Amino acid sequence: MKILINNMSNYFKAALLLGTITLVGCEKRLDIAPTASIADNLALNTEGDVLVTLVGAYDGAQSAAAYGGDIMVLNDVIGNSTNINFTGTFAGLSDAYQTQMVSDNNFARDTWAACYNTINRCNNVLTAVAKVTSSTAKKNSVEGEALMLRASMYFELVRLFAKFVGDGDYATNPGVPLVLTPTGNVTDANYPARATVKAVYDQVIADLTKAETLLPSSNGNYVSKWAAAAQLSRVYLMVKDYANARDAANRVITGSGKSLAANFGSNWFTFINNAGATPGEYLFSLKVTAQDGTNSQNTYFGRAIGSIPGTAGRSDCKIRLNHINEYENGDFRKGYFTLSGGNYYTNKHLDRFGDVAIIRLAEMFLTRAECNQRLNTTVGATPLADINRIRARVGLGSLASVTLADITKERSLELAFEGHYLIEAKRLQTAVGTLAWNDPKLVLPIPRRETDVNKNLVQNAGY
Amino acid sequence: MRKKLLVGLFALFCVVVAHAQTTVSGKVTDAANGAPLGGVTVKAKGTAVTALTGADGAYSIKVTSSVKTLVFSYVGYSEVEAPVRGTNVDVALNSSVSNLSEVIVTGFGGAQIKREVTGNIARVKGKDIEYMPTPSVDAALQGKAAGVFVNSQSGKLGQAVTVRVRGNSSISASSQPLYVLDGIPMTSNSQSSYGGATNPLVDLNPNDIESIEVLKDASAGAIFGSRAANGVVLITTKRGRAGKTQVTFNYQTGAAEATKRLKMLNSEEYATLILEGAKYRDDLDGTPLNDPDSWTTYVKDGVMDYYSYGNWSKDPKKSYDWQDAVFQKAPYRQADLQIRGGTDKTKFFSSFQHLEQTGTMIGNELKRTTGRLSIDQKVNDWMDMGVSLSLSRTYNRRLPDDNAFSNPLQAIALMPMTPFTDPNTGLPAGAPPGDVNIPLYYNPVLSVNYAKYTQDVYRTFGNAYIKAYLAKGLTFQTEFGMDYLSQNEEGYFQTQTVRNQTRASRGLGTNRGAFVTNYNTQSYFNYSTVVNKHNISATLGTQYQQSQAKYNFTEGTAFPSDSYQKIASAATISSGSSSQTDFRFLSYFLRTNYTFDEKYIVAASARIDQSSRFGKNSRSGFFPAISAGWIMSNEKFLQDNKFISFLKMRASYGIVGNAEIGNFPQLGLFSGDAGYAGAAGQRPSQLRNDNLKWETTKQFDIGFDFGFLNNRITGEIDYYVKNTEGLLLNVNIPATTGFNSQVRNVGKLQNKGFEFVLNTQNLVGAFKWNTSFNIARNIGKVTDIAGQIIEGGISSMNRVQEGYAVGVFYTPQYAGVDPANGNALFYLNTKNPDGSLNKGTTSNYNLAQRIVAGDPNPDYILGITNSFSYKGFDASIFFNGVLGNENNIYGMGRYSSASMLYEDNNTADQLRRWQKPGDITDIPQVRLYRVNGSQASSRYIVDGSYIRLRTVSLGYTFNAKQLSKFKIERLRVYVSAQNLLTFTNYTYWDPEVNADSFDSNIAKGNDFYTSPQPRTILFGVNVGF
Repeated sequence: MKILINNMSNYFKAALLLGTITLVGCEKRLDIAPTASIADNLALNTEGDVLVTLVGAYDGAQSAAAYGGDIMVLNDVIGNSTNINFTGTFAGLSDAYQTQMVSDNNFARDTWAACYNTINRCNNVLTAVAKVTSSTAKKNSVEGEALMLRASMYFELVRLFAKFVGDGDYATNPGVPLVLTPTGNVTDANYPARATVKAVYDQVIADLTKAETLLPSSNGNYVSKWAAAAQLSRVYLMVKDYANARDAANRVITGSGKSLAANFGSNWFTFINNAGATPGEYLFSLKVTAQDGTNSQNTYFGRAIGSIPGTAGRSDCKIRLNHINEYENGDFRKGYFTLSGGNYYTNKHLDRFGDVAIIRLAEMFLTRAECNQRLNTTVGATPLADINRIRARVGLGSLASVTLADITKERSLELAFEGHYLIEAKRLQTAVGTLAWNDPKLVLPIPRRETDVNKNLVQNAGY
Repeated sequence: MRKKLLVGLFALFCVVVAHAQTTVSGKVTDAANGAPLGGVTVKAKGTAVTALTGADGAYSIKVTSSVKTLVFSYVGYSEVEAPVRGTNVDVALNSSVSNLSEVIVTGFGGAQIKREVTGNIARVKGKDIEYMPTPSVDAALQGKAAGVFVNSQSGKLGQAVTVRVRGNSSISASSQPLYVLDGIPMTSNSQSSYGGATNPLVDLNPNDIESIEVLKDASAGAIFGSRAANGVVLITTKRGRAGKTQVTFNYQTGAAEATKRLKMLNSEEYATLILEGAKYRDDLDGTPLNDPDSWTTYVKDGVMDYYSYGNWSKDPKKSYDWQDAVFQKAPYRQADLQIRGGTDKTKFFSSFQHLEQTGTMIGNELKRTTGRLSIDQKVNDWMDMGVSLSLSRTYNRRLPDDNAFSNPLQAIALMPMTPFTDPNTGLPAGAPPGDVNIPLYYNPVLSVNYAKYTQDVYRTFGNAYIKAYLAKGLTFQTEFGMDYLSQNEEGYFQTQTVRNQTRASRGLGTNRGAFVTNYNTQSYFNYSTVVNKHNISATLGTQYQQSQAKYNFTEGTAFPSDSYQKIASAATISSGSSSQTDFRFLSYFLRTNYTFDEKYIVAASARIDQSSRFGKNSRSGFFPAISAGWIMSNEKFLQDNKFISFLKMRASYGIVGNAEIGNFPQLGLFSGDAGYAGAAGQRPSQLRNDNLKWETTKQFDIGFDFGFLNNRITGEIDYYVKNTEGLLLNVNIPATTGFNSQVRNVGKLQNKGFEFVLNTQNLVGAFKWNTSFNIARNIGKVTDIAGQIIEGGISSMNRVQEGYAVGVFYTPQYAGVDPANGNALFYLNTKNPDGSLNKGTTSNYNLAQRIVAGDPNPDYILGITNSFSYKGFDASIFFNGVLGNENNIYGMGRYSSASMLYEDNNTADQLRRWQKPGDITDIPQVRLYRVNGSQASSRYIVDGSYIRLRTVSLGYTFNAKQLSKFKIERLRVYVSAQNLLTFTNYTYWDPEVNADSFDSNIAKGNDFYTSPQPRTILFGVNVGF
């Protein structure tokens, strides 16, 4: 054999050896781990892990499609040609305004997904809450916060995606699927049917009741006992349990130590004027900062006003004169609109950052007043006193007496464009434009994506 | 075990042959000009004995007395067989037209003469794409290789290009081919964080390329194993050649314009339509038209007068075509210098290029500077070594993605009464201190004047090798290669852009770095021998690749003024992050070829791939392939046939994979990006799948290669079937789980089709005319997606549907307009009891069932090049065609071809709208802010077929004798044009489209204010010394 290897230099032999070595011994190099994420089995083992997962639940709730604002925007925009000229081009929202929604409406799809994503984050916290061992108070708070956020998501889902309480039998009407455990592997159990509206409300009431007992009175940027009580008051109002709604509202008014801000306007422009501090009147709100979060009420109701730096928005929701004429002369709230380019915009959502308000104290006075009026009671205060308190703050004189209609009108003006329009119409069974309060067009479709993938889901009427 | 294998193989191939020897010598020249040709391979026919010619064209070869013929082969020249008579054989080579004698690169040191190849490999010569005004090599492949579909997606410079080899064989994983540059699997995925995806192949100077081989079938691709299912594109760069040093300088300059403008409504037409729509609404509400709350008042005062700075009511005829504001005439210039030469021992190639290209849309610019040096050195009689190094810098001033108000082409949505310039300030409309809420939408011109986003890419391709001649016919080669991509993206958005970039109220600066280090090392033995009539060759080796990408990002707001544009001056650092991702592959491969009597060929190859991307239960994959060929023209019954000069039948079958499934798709993950109000947070982000692995493609190919009339007509016919299984699907799961999808290997799909290539020399002699033609038909069909609903694209209209190709358009069927009331109608398309579709119509969109209304995948793709030469003149005309596909224009149509639903300007065809009972038209009644026919439907799925005069060129080469007194060897002047003509029925700008905001495997054929391809006309001069 005429082989040249003998002629080779040692240098080359070394190189050849090196080349051959690459044939073996490399396999360990294939075990590499991601750096931006961590494996699930490493993620939920300590108290610290549970706490950051809870923060993640707030992040989920704050997403634009959920309490970042879309939930409130949908409730204000659907069918609301009475108060708004909607001129936006986001087809999903435009269709909602026209009550011409189709089953793949992307706002319905995204809100559904964002709520359930948050629910899964809460469920992860709730299964691991035993790992919080530093103090019982801490553990209670973590559990209470997760229950409060989860209940809030279900409450919003069932109001948007199901027939309202009072429309048929809510004990048999389909609500939304109830998922109470975190998702690990996907099995048949992950294809749930819709629970009844009542079952969803029962779960929400149970979670909020428990959360109220577990949560501390004051909790920094996170939800407190009073946020849970306020949300519970809202829930009872929806199911027409006026006594419990009144009592929960009264607990908040008397227990929270909060009071109505002297200046109605100080509840907004918080980032522009106040470095993003949460207004004292807010009971439940989620923070938006320059670094994190979206305020989609600002996105759709806001507008960049040249004279107010920091304002932004798509100018989609132009407020109709119809609405502005509803306020009495001298009402501070009547002037709380900005005229720009020939159209009016509400001042409530011009600020790009700051908190997205979900519940503020004024609503509790209005709820207590309405329930007292309906039940002919005076728990906490008379309905007249509560209404006059709301009126006085915006520069209106006291009334001598109030009717239920006065109270609900006051409620609609005080809470205008804060996400109540559709809900109030359904609750009070008043028409939405030309549609009856229980028209199927006013219920969001179960997202087509969901009915496609989960055959156990039944679509809403009309889609 | 593997070492033993190696040794065994090594011993097996060390066969000794002994014979009496004589030495033959001679000189090889170029038949065209008599110049000596260095580097020509001289082979003793029927043996493995070869020699190379030196710089002076001379060679000498020791042959046994049994050798009767020498074979001379050289890239780009026709092979010549010369009989051995005596000891001196001189030959002259003609540059080749027939490609049967071309040497085909097969990877890992493998090279085969085309006539002996049993796989399907398309070869594109560097010469065929040189000096084309496309900055990336993939775009230049368009129409050049049968079965390779290329869509340049948009006219934006340096952006990603869709390339599909024999159809789309994946749904969720990448369907782009694997690009291998001189042995290195390249980083070819976009590293951009702004606008659409960019194309990292842009960093490679296409004029440095010697040849491109596209490995299409499994037998050619299997040696690339788990990454070959989408085809493999082997790019071989130019190397030095022994002989006189050749210096070539080329300069070309010209300009480009958008290939098409769209006809939009003018001011009067706009006013007619919008007032009609407002009146409809007022009549519906019972509001008098002159009521201050009426839609009509709103439209007159709040829309047309407001957005025209009060000018509309004074001069309703004044009209502006906003396309004038955003399209521009775009200069182009490019200079190339190449120096190539060498001696017997040392060969070198070097090149430099500078390119400056301006986009046909304002604000888009690309500049590239590249340099390359390759050296090959014969160290001694048993060892060669070489290095090549390429450095480049690519600067790209980017445009935002198509779905951004700052995308210049979205300006067509602006109403025609809005002037380009604010009459109060003399600044562009919408620039402060003027009213920032004019025009209707953000004026994209502001983002060109007052913002800038640039991408600078510094790219290094390096490669070093040592090749040892261990024994007769046996070589060992070890290579180390790297592809280092260093990218900086920098953006600054001045306060004037605040309407679009809300965070820019006091200036916004961003800065992002991307660093991708991609190392590849491979070592392999190559063996070849000839024993009597048996020709054997084999390759055995290993490859290891590791790639790491690191990213960082900083964003700052609140700048002292717009004069300060670096984040050092930002009062608030509003965002910052860093991240990293990795992947690794370890592989072993074997390839053998056996030829008997130059008639019968069998080849087999296999590869084992292991990767960090696969789940722990399926870490290692095995990818075998086999192929066979029969050269019938070497059989007695055809040997003397006057018509058939070459005929080969070949067939192959093999298994390849697709591992482009992203990094870490198999792990269950939490992500730490869920902070809230300044506190850190985490969230579950991905569901685990331990069984996750590559997608598997089994491909069968049968084909014929033929040459007729002394190979003046040559060609190929292929039929293939590609079955892909274990498709990685982002399987939709109920969102009630908190997740939208889980990655699983579930689906199956099939691509089958045929390819036909024909090259003819129509005229030879003084007037030469050659034609090369290719056409391919691919039928893609998803056969199983396990019941998943997979959608994408604009309004989720692209869909993966069993029985159809990936990404068909699935949407209700538009039925035109009800003549009675102007309502848009849709076909019900519900199932009748007998299974047929109910073709009744409805105006209730929710009742209309969706159907497959179109397919973005073409039925046929073709290319035809005619080249002519006469004396000094040369001309070339190249058409490419894409036929039988549909595009989706709903992205724009829902706003701009929507019976004036919104305040957007509309296309002129909307004037055909229904106006009164009895009108027969396809455009529904105008109803401002009341949806009427603008829902997603087949109305917006339109024919996307086209045939395009892709390039045409005319050149003149001066007589060499005239030039010699100027010490110039070669001088050619030319004019060339790209995209000069397009034949299409497409209604929007450009049928060759794919909106960058929606692009995915599924979402193809979408148009969303996407800029058309440029029509470029260039003048050039090419000088050789």
